[in-house]
Amino acid sequence: MQVTLSKRINQLLVLAVLDQGPAHGYQIALAVEEQTGGSFSFQHGTLYPILHRLEADGRLRAEWHGTGRRRKTYEITGAGRAELAAGAAELERQFEALLGLLRGSRAA
Amino acid sequence: MPRENPLARVERELRVAPRHRLDLVEEVGADVVALQAELERRGYGPAEARSAAVARLVPGGEVIGQLEVRLAPALGRRLLASGWMDRVVAVGAGAAAAFAGVVAVVATADLGGAGATVALRWLLVFVAALMAANLARAAARLWVQGDLRQEERLLLWARQTGLIVAAVALGALGAAWEGYRALGASLGAPGPASLSQAAAWEAIGSVAGVAVSGLGVAVLGLFGWLLVTPRLLTDAECERRIDAFFAQSRPRLTPDSSNTQSHGQ
Repeated sequence: MQVTLSKRINQLLVLAVLDQGPAHGYQIALAVEEQTGGSFSFQHGTLYPILHRLEADGRLRAEWHGTGRRRKTYEITGAGRAELAAGAAELERQFEALLGLLRGSRAA
Repeated sequence: MPRENPLARVERELRVAPRHRLDLVEEVGADVVALQAELERRGYGPAEARSAAVARLVPGGEVIGQLEVRLAPALGRRLLASGWMDRVVAVGAGAAAAFAGVVAVVATADLGGAGATVALRWLLVFVAALMAANLARAAARLWVQGDLRQEERLLLWARQTGLIVAAVALGALGAAWEGYRALGASLGAPGPASLSQAAAWEAIGSVAGVAVSGLGVAVLGLFGWLLVTPRLLTDAECERRIDAFFAQSRPRLTPDSSNTQSHGQ
């Protein structure tokens, strides 16, 4: 099932992929899709505002390569890693609470 | 017929500074080409790979709106979010015009002169106000919204040039009228045509005063435009690079793929 992504989850997906190493935008989009088995995907360029926001917040570092046809590579920063760890823990708690409620209602 | 590069639509619709537009088209353009190549390596046909890469990466309308708010200058970001951008630009231009008009009235109030010269001075005040409004509009587009497209830039420059020429012409006309008036007075006087030294200096003062008013307004208009010129040159260079990007990417990014065979995934 295709899940509607919240801003928070989108940011964590990007940070999680970049935690594995620097990547171009298209590689991040592809990795998110593959590593979540297609449950999450970026369509219609939704990836770029997220990347730019994380870059502006200092959670990612971006670097341009090449002179004629330039390409941009993103890398996670220390602040990004901290955000990923805190965000993942918070999401885990929220999903546990949600699943607990769903399981309870199914059992009743 | 080759299709339009989908990024060209994004570049057209995205109302942000040219350097941001350039960065975005280069980043997304390179990503689309790379993703298409990657998908082709995985067995997609060229048309299918291209279409999948465009669908994933090229910003749609909603994303363009998000990017505009994100890439606008700090003040513009708030105005865009509140939907007040156009109203604020119009009010700013009006306020600048009123301010310049008042300054021009105060600056020329003590210069004296005959009825026709006073009328010319009021026209100069009007020209100064229009110049200020023109400059305020250009400055607001550049530093508040961030985007002043070439066609609007050329239109504002044409208006400014016209107003500068009008200011010089009004100054020259006023000076000529003052000179004619002084000469006419001396010719109309009984006896040999001559001007007393005091009257001559007064006439020279009136002629110079009106001429300097016109030249002063023209110089201020020109100087104001020179202040925005460095930013305009930077924008023009970015727009040249955007054009070069689309010219270079035409063979790769806009193939007429209707005849290409799709091999599937």
